[in-house]
Amino acid sequence: MAEQEPESTITESVQPEIPTRRVKRIMKLDKDINKVNAEALVVITHATEFFLQFLAEKSALVALEKKRKTIKLEHLRVAVKRHQPTSDFLLDSLPMPAQPSDQQLLKDRAKSRANKKPVPVGTRKIDAFFQKFT
Amino acid sequence: MVDNSEASASSDIKEQDRLLPIANVGRIMKQILPQNAKISKEAKETMQECVSEFIGFVTGEASDKCRKERRKTINGDDVCWALETLGFDDYAEPLKRYLNKYREIEGDRANQNKASISEEMEEPPLNRSNQPKY
Repeated sequence: MAEQEPESTITESVQPEIPTRRVKRIMKLDKDINKVNAEALVVITHATEFFLQFLAEKSALVALEKKRKTIKLEHLRVAVKRHQPTSDFLLDSLPMPAQPSDQQLLKDRAKSRANKKPVPVGTRKIDAFFQKFT
Repeated sequence: MVDNSEASASSDIKEQDRLLPIANVGRIMKQILPQNAKISKEAKETMQECVSEFIGFVTGEASDKCRKERRKTINGDDVCWALETLGFDDYAEPLKRYLNKYREIEGDRANQNKASISEEMEEPPLNRSNQPKY
């Protein structure tokens, strides 16, 4: 019974959804790559489909956990982090976290600066203390 | 990021070469996700990038293996090996079965071609002029 199942899966997915020509072009971007035979191209194309499905599925799970209807970049990031092999090669390539958080950081800093009271003249600064003793 | 309009135009062309078409990416994601799932544009575009990274990563590994073994052409087994080595054994197993099936089919096709070619070679060249006209 188990042996029959893979056969049907194979015949169903004989034609890759992704154009193999594009996959080949992407492979060739690496100058170290010499030749790739037809079967290798087909295998890699299918593997890529699996990978994409995996990413989509896991990202959707994260979005669901966070009770969001739209899958966003941060959900993808969490999904990548959770799978070690993927995280190893992909985490650093993901775009930096959304800019609003950086803007918030700048806003917070500006606020704290505005709140600071001017120090009285002649007050020793803590840095001076450390410079003396280090 | 890029100020020069010429540079950005050439990088656009490059993007088409180094990314899979977003339509295909979107379609594959839709197949696996529930119907009401939504994906942000940013997430979809990032998936595009992730997938290209995956292709480069797996191909690179397979290529290294070939180089070490002094072979110039990457074959299906090399790709399966790379997938396993990089931690994607979930893909490696079904793809190995697929590869065997693929080789079977291709082998039959190649044998058929060989048979027809050898038939042609056995016929005397004059036979062409003797062919009946319909």
